[in-house]
Amino acid sequence: MGKMDNLKDKNSPLSNISKENPFRVPDQYFDNFSARLQTRIEAETSIVPDQPNRFIRILKPALGLAASFALIFLLVYWPIKTFTPTQSAENQTEDSGLSYMDYVKSLVEEDDDMSFYALFDNESNETAISDEDIADYIPVHTSEFELYAESYYK
Amino acid sequence: MEFNDRDLIASLKDESTRERAFQTLVNTYQERLYWHIRKIVMNHEDADDVLQNTFVKVWRSIANFREESSLYTWLYRIATNESLTLIHANKRRSLMPMSDASEFLMNNLTSDPYFEGTEIQKKLQQAILQLPDKQRIVFNMKYFDEMKYEDMSQILDTSVGALKASFHHAAKKIEDYLKNSD
Repeated sequence: MGKMDNLKDKNSPLSNISKENPFRVPDQYFDNFSARLQTRIEAETSIVPDQPNRFIRILKPALGLAASFALIFLLVYWPIKTFTPTQSAENQTEDSGLSYMDYVKSLVEEDDDMSFYALFDNESNETAISDEDIADYIPVHTSEFELYAESYYK
Repeated sequence: MEFNDRDLIASLKDESTRERAFQTLVNTYQERLYWHIRKIVMNHEDADDVLQNTFVKVWRSIANFREESSLYTWLYRIATNESLTLIHANKRRSLMPMSDASEFLMNNLTSDPYFEGTEIQKKLQQAILQLPDKQRIVFNMKYFDEMKYEDMSQILDTSVGALKASFHHAAKKIEDYLKNSD
């Protein structure tokens, strides 16, 4: 309280200044304040968030993230998986409606063209039969009667 | 109207009597709190906002009031914090450096249509506005409200010794300002 006594000293500038309140309020401010306050409290109390909406609001970021990942999957991963070359070769036979037998036949037919011509070349070199072979073969595998019958009835 | 603080608190915590008890609380403390706030924020519109914010906070948290302090000091503490919150918010909104808050509040004072004091009273208010916020609050509470240091200690959560020192320095600064402004 020492300082307060000093302030009351006539030499202190503060001693010459009235402590009267220099501020005023609008007319009937305090009379009306309580009612205005009540209106405000009622207004704020009536805005109560619904529990389910609040729950959804909390989940929203997680749901958004899950939706983003799903979209990335649809736009990036699935097309890459669908249209990569290794996948397309297997899918083509299935997608074009060819049966497995048709597929095999096509392979055989393709191969036969090449191997057919190859056969000609190989047989002339490797499988030719001489006259002597024929002469040796006939008596062993054919009777005398069959031989005469054939020459008589031709 | 005389009332007992303890009874009033009990009525406020009882849902069946809360509204009526709150009405009593507002009627009892609105003027004291208003003037305390007004001296901090310096204009009527801001003081009205802060006073409403104070009572709204009291309404929301009265059920959790632990009664470790008196109702009076609890209300003053809320009002003081809400006043400082508004000042800081206004500083941020105006993109002003924190050190220029006194100029901001000075504008509030000079443009306030509800200031009806003399020139010397205006000069005193200008001198008080030179002080840091908390020191200004200490000076107002001691000089104008003549509050006990023990009550101020509970409201401002500061020791009595620190409050006495703060008031001493505040008064010295104000006296120097008034002498130099003559």
